[in-house]
Amino acid sequence: MLGSTADSLFWMFRYIERVENTLCMIESGFQLYLLSSSNLNNEWDAILRTNSIRHHFLKKNNSLDSLNIINFMLKDPKNFNNILILFEKARENARRSRVSITSEVWEAINTCWLYLNEELNKKINESKIQTIIKNTREKIALIFGFLERSMLKNEILNFCYLGTFIERFDNTVRILNTRYYLLLDEKKIRFEGYDNFQLEMILRSISSYRSFMWKNQNEIKANKVSYFLISDKDMPKSLMFCVNETIKNLRSIHKKNFPKNKSYQNALSIQKKIKQKSRNFNNYSFLNSLFKLNMTLAANIEEEFNFQ
Amino acid sequence: MTYFTKTYDEAFINENSVRTNYKKFISWYKNQDNDELTKINSDAMKFFENTGVSFKVYSNDKKENLIPFDIIPRIINSKEWDKLVKGITQRVLAINFFLTDIYGQQEIIKHGVIPVDLIQNNTAFLKQMIGFTPPNKTYNHISGIDLIKTNSDNFYVLEDNVRVPSGASYMIENRDTMIKLFPELISKYKVSENRNYAKYLSEILKKSSPKTSKINPNIVLLTPGIYNSAFFEHAFLADKLGVELVEGKDLRVINKYLNMKTINGWKRVDVIYRRIDDIFLDPLSFKEDSFLGVPGLMEVYRNKNVTIANAPGTGISDDKSIYSYIPDIIKFYLGQKPILKNVKTFKCRIKDELKYVLDNLNKLVVKEVHGSGGHGMLVGPLASKTEISKFKNKIKKNPYSYIAQPTLSLSTCPIYTKKGLTPRHVDLRCFALLAQEKVTVIGGGLTRVALKKGSLVVNSSQGGGTKDTWILSS
Repeated sequence: MLGSTADSLFWMFRYIERVENTLCMIESGFQLYLLSSSNLNNEWDAILRTNSIRHHFLKKNNSLDSLNIINFMLKDPKNFNNILILFEKARENARRSRVSITSEVWEAINTCWLYLNEELNKKINESKIQTIIKNTREKIALIFGFLERSMLKNEILNFCYLGTFIERFDNTVRILNTRYYLLLDEKKIRFEGYDNFQLEMILRSISSYRSFMWKNQNEIKANKVSYFLISDKDMPKSLMFCVNETIKNLRSIHKKNFPKNKSYQNALSIQKKIKQKSRNFNNYSFLNSLFKLNMTLAANIEEEFNFQ
Repeated sequence: MTYFTKTYDEAFINENSVRTNYKKFISWYKNQDNDELTKINSDAMKFFENTGVSFKVYSNDKKENLIPFDIIPRIINSKEWDKLVKGITQRVLAINFFLTDIYGQQEIIKHGVIPVDLIQNNTAFLKQMIGFTPPNKTYNHISGIDLIKTNSDNFYVLEDNVRVPSGASYMIENRDTMIKLFPELISKYKVSENRNYAKYLSEILKKSSPKTSKINPNIVLLTPGIYNSAFFEHAFLADKLGVELVEGKDLRVINKYLNMKTINGWKRVDVIYRRIDDIFLDPLSFKEDSFLGVPGLMEVYRNKNVTIANAPGTGISDDKSIYSYIPDIIKFYLGQKPILKNVKTFKCRIKDELKYVLDNLNKLVVKEVHGSGGHGMLVGPLASKTEISKFKNKIKKNPYSYIAQPTLSLSTCPIYTKKGLTPRHVDLRCFALLAQEKVTVIGGGLTRVALKKGSLVVNSSQGGGTKDTWILSS
């Protein structure tokens, strides 16, 4: 496989995953807006910071107006990470690697892109936001469905998954980073405005509230939430799950040579770090080091497989 | 139904009388529900849109356009087709002999068949190819021969495209679409297959591999990238061929061989099916600032360590001034009478012919010798006086760059509209593949249709559409 093809596959799925993650965040914010929650501003603030776009947004806007933020995140050209731009990049990479993906996967991506272009280029009113998010997420699920069902189980698929899990790890660690103070041990810290509602919002922003509650007998606690997001190997958005998937895919590409490779070693060290801290993880520097390690891991992959 | 055409129509003799080729089809058509057909017609475009079949018209925006597709097939009978196959085979072989000669001994010039200045002054003649024979002595592996019909008897050749002819993917997609839209209709006819194009293309590319390579040569398709107007086709064909789609940046010359950068390091490349023009192939040999090609590629090629298909320099055989000599070229190398006719062509480089052209611009179609895509041409009968006088000056300044042809009465075929069938002008691009002196002409081709009433310009970059082309088995 060409290095540049691996590059396109990897980035195609980083962007698709980023779109999915961003949509989840918009949805959680929008729910609060509909409930006219008093936490609304805090929530938007956290969402904008997670996406590193708070500064850009406030350049143009004086207040955290919900619909303005949603518009900004969906389609404002001033936001370089808006859904339209992200998906455009995903599709561009899909075109570049068109030969490596099945026509089912390609058509799923292309139809999603056509849909977003049609819907987001119109004026977006409040009543449509949920429909757009729901339809887009369904279309993304279709992409992953076809990826799973129509592609050969070979290194092409491995690179798609590497992009997906590196990006997902990045997203989860960013969410944790922005709100790490909520997850600190309750005995150690007390501050104003702290309540379970904010913990709930963390879970909602990655669409995992229900699965958390199901696993934890409807009891929401900071240490349990952080365990769920960091160490739970069954939770598809947890850091542990993501790094395990990364390791699995790297093994599969490297075949027998994997112990020597930097990327593989680095992925193992992330896994180890999470294991060691499994019951006592809640500090900023720990999360920040994971964030950086994941970035290095992505760079290792790009270098080792001759991306361009 | 009112169906009126001034020129030769391939389906109707007049409103009430249908030609034999179309009889079965028209009787089927008359039994269809018009609303249903209108729906199918718009489904067809939706189908193309979803599969991403697109054609980028050069402009500043990133918009991708769809080539309009018409659901009414163009039908050609086997007798007409057999003649076309023989004629195309003859031309393709003659062109290959011509290229071998013109970059070699130049016997054709020595015999006075072709004037030397036509070659010397021609930018398509590459000095880098002189005295070099490509692997397997093949230059024009892939040809796209453009034909038009003006009456019931004859197809005329309008152009021989042997540089980087495109359109094969649309030919295949059109057939796929027709089968999806009208499965019951296609099964009634014995229509010859054209979706085997990739299979034949793969065969000739394998056969063209240089001797030094392995049994299974590593073939790549070289594209300028995703912003190229024909990128869809490049990806489509690479997919069907089962080969890597590469850009210049994926390739590098290492130790006298061409290599591609894979996830496991460098891998030798044996055959390049290139979809970039000659001048971009190698910045060391041609355009210095080209990023699309590979530095040093020509040296690898000249050492016969890689095959480039089509060979660099093939353009010398398909420019519009050489075109008028093709009948002579056929006679010279094959000793045969040309099977397919050329369109009468006035060469502005010849004094008398230039005078005739300048005096009759309002009746003629003038084309640039190296032009393509319907650009840089003057359609005399449709042009204004100012346009004509402007063009006159252009020709006078550089007569070598222009040829002129009489305005041809291109045949028409019916296209579908909500109000019923209506005639539009068409041409036909046939694809021929060459390896080891054996030519394969793919059954049918790409019919291009001028969708504007009365228009003769069929190019997709100027509002032309396409149709499926059916060759009926005998």
